[in-house]
Amino acid sequence: MKVKYIQILGTVLAVLYGVFIVFLYAAEPRSLGEVTTKAMSAVESTVTKGQVLTGTYEIDQARFNEGIAAFRSDNFVLARDRFERADPEKRDANTQFYIAYSYYRQGWGRISNDDALFKAGLEALKIVPQIDPDFVSKDADLKLKTAAELRNEFEEGLKVTADDFNPLRLVRERK
Amino acid sequence: MPVGILIAIVKERLEKTANDILDRAGSVDGGIVPPDETEMEQQGALSAIDTSGKRLDGESARKRQRTLRLYVFLPLLFLTVALMGGLRLASPDSAFVFMRPALVCLFFAVVLIGLFVRGGIIAFESWFSDEYSTAHNIANGVLMLSLFAATAQVFNSVIPETGLPFWVVSFCFAWTLWNNLFAEFDGRKLLRSLIALFAFAFVAKYVVLAGLTAPTGDGWLRSMIENPAKETVTWLLELPRYSAGTGYIQFFCLLLYFAGLSSLPRDAS
Repeated sequence: MKVKYIQILGTVLAVLYGVFIVFLYAAEPRSLGEVTTKAMSAVESTVTKGQVLTGTYEIDQARFNEGIAAFRSDNFVLARDRFERADPEKRDANTQFYIAYSYYRQGWGRISNDDALFKAGLEALKIVPQIDPDFVSKDADLKLKTAAELRNEFEEGLKVTADDFNPLRLVRERK
Repeated sequence: MPVGILIAIVKERLEKTANDILDRAGSVDGGIVPPDETEMEQQGALSAIDTSGKRLDGESARKRQRTLRLYVFLPLLFLTVALMGGLRLASPDSAFVFMRPALVCLFFAVVLIGLFVRGGIIAFESWFSDEYSTAHNIANGVLMLSLFAATAQVFNSVIPETGLPFWVVSFCFAWTLWNNLFAEFDGRKLLRSLIALFAFAFVAKYVVLAGLTAPTGDGWLRSMIENPAKETVTWLLELPRYSAGTGYIQFFCLLLYFAGLSSLPRDAS
């Protein structure tokens, strides 16, 4: 084998080994079994980022549908998990809107709202106008169609006003 | 077939094979005579033996072996040291803990490589040149980078992770390296002094401090009752609790590092 080829082979091997070591120190697996799991997760993440860079990124439709099904059956924790896994790069306004909406529906209460969930929803909602400023949901089941309406609902829900003591609040409906 | 005839055939075959081997190995009359290197070099027929035991052609074989050692074996060895240097095993479940090197380790590594250059272990100017091909320069660069990574991780290995011991040992290293920067060296003496320095740091961390560290107990109160002195020292010095395997890994890490360093040629030409 020529010297040049040995040098190239050595360089390639060293670079690959170096990348593996950097990966180990970044992923910090706690056992040999975890190395495989973390490697698969890193590969998935790299593929997704590659799709974003090449403009071919799409949400995982199957997981999104699972999320919708869970959302309709008021299982909001599962729904959020499916939505987050459907759109790991947070680049789809519709999916992110559903995540924020799930916080609203889970945190809504006839007497009082869950402030922690409303705050989390408000935080999750911030990304929607960044992805698509003119986003309007096409889901007929959702009464709040835009990010602005949903934000208003969150903000009103977090405020303590005299209106909160209005007994007619007991007959209001979740949107 | 009678057993006697069978034995005779086997004996004959074995003798023939042995003679063939001796012939190939340059033997005369069954006695192995060492080849005269000067004479063979003059004839351009100096040969080397590869891993399969097959003789290879003289200079090219030697060059190939050297290139393999320099550009495949040594970078991989130094990278293995870089991998092992930050690896600890947690106590009591022996889970992997990857400790990234502190900034001071990178600084020490730069100073130590400066010392290698000053001490003549590495003739830096011979490793990179416009006269070399790009592949050659890159391969040399990769080797130097792997050496740097290994050096940083060797410091990471022997310097305690946190607390007062970290500062004390770092200070000792800084003092020694600073003094060495202005001393006159030859490569061999420098290497010996480094082995002594790192061996001392290794013993301090993995024998003395590890011996003072209290084992992971069921609870704070129980540990205090069972090992009051060790528990106090562990708490005061912020000693991490690692399993015994860590010391073995770091021992081999140091061994590999100095083996790699001693087989690193002064120049790449």
